[in-house]
Amino acid sequence: MDADVRQMTWTELAALCTNLEKACTKQLKEEEARAFASLASFYASKRKAQGDASLDDLLALIEADLSTGYRSANEAANYADDRGAKRALLWGEKATKLLKSLLARYAKQKEALTADTGVFVCEICGFVYVGQQPPEVCPICKVPSFKIHEVKKEAI
Amino acid sequence: MHAARNLRLCTKDCVCLFICPTGATNTETGQIDFDKCLDGCRLCVDACPSGAIYLVSSTYPAPQPKHPSVLETLYSLVRSKAAQEDVAHSVKEGSDDAALRQICTVVETSSRIIAEDLWRESGYIIAQSEATRALLKAMISEHGTMEGFPRTEVEELLSRLS
Repeated sequence: MDADVRQMTWTELAALCTNLEKACTKQLKEEEARAFASLASFYASKRKAQGDASLDDLLALIEADLSTGYRSANEAANYADDRGAKRALLWGEKATKLLKSLLARYAKQKEALTADTGVFVCEICGFVYVGQQPPEVCPICKVPSFKIHEVKKEAI
Repeated sequence: MHAARNLRLCTKDCVCLFICPTGATNTETGQIDFDKCLDGCRLCVDACPSGAIYLVSSTYPAPQPKHPSVLETLYSLVRSKAAQEDVAHSVKEGSDDAALRQICTVVETSSRIIAEDLWRESGYIIAQSEATRALLKAMISEHGTMEGFPRTEVEELLSRLS
């Protein structure tokens, strides 16, 4: 059962392409990686901004993942005894909980949350860290900290 | 199957330069010259005292088969992560508050990484697979005539992957 291109959103397609771009980069296949990157930019350019989107919508989607999405996926992975899927679900669920907590903290503290501190994201698993310096090893996926990158505040 | 150097581990012991029969390890970029490297030779891999050289395969096995219910639930999480990235992106585009934009970038980035990992576990772990080739063909037939679609690049990619 392959995924059906016709039923995917533009951003799903973009993520599929950046995933394969990374897979090619890991095999040192630069031209192949560039082609997947071009495809990913094409799909990213197709998406439309949702004018009425809010952080509350975002939080609702994240909470739905935590209450149902991950639960059903974990049940399926346990039933099939699929350790690869269980691994991805464990990492993704932990990172999703951190995103929920980030949004909850931002809702209370607003710009004070990151006024005097950095925010970091692990490029391997999506782990999020608010603080001065990220941990030496990612607490979720155990990658060394050179793969954990700061997201800077940018002026427009 | 050629050798490659992990530049983060390489301590310039130069044993690979001594042992390479073709000079492929001696380059100005620091990376091995893949065209000069002998298929499967691995002399440098075994000789490197810092374990900084490895072999890159030219063939890969098919990805592990997945249970349909696992695929279905992973696809559904991918869709949800993509939707979260879209909402974060839209909120960011609609705001000029630097702190809010920073939080949105974090959510966008993290959601994308989680979605990529879910795709990886859904049978798209490598580019050299039947699933990826079928995907690229479907993209050409569905989106190939849309403005901006990198058609030539995708067709070249397909021929390079087959």
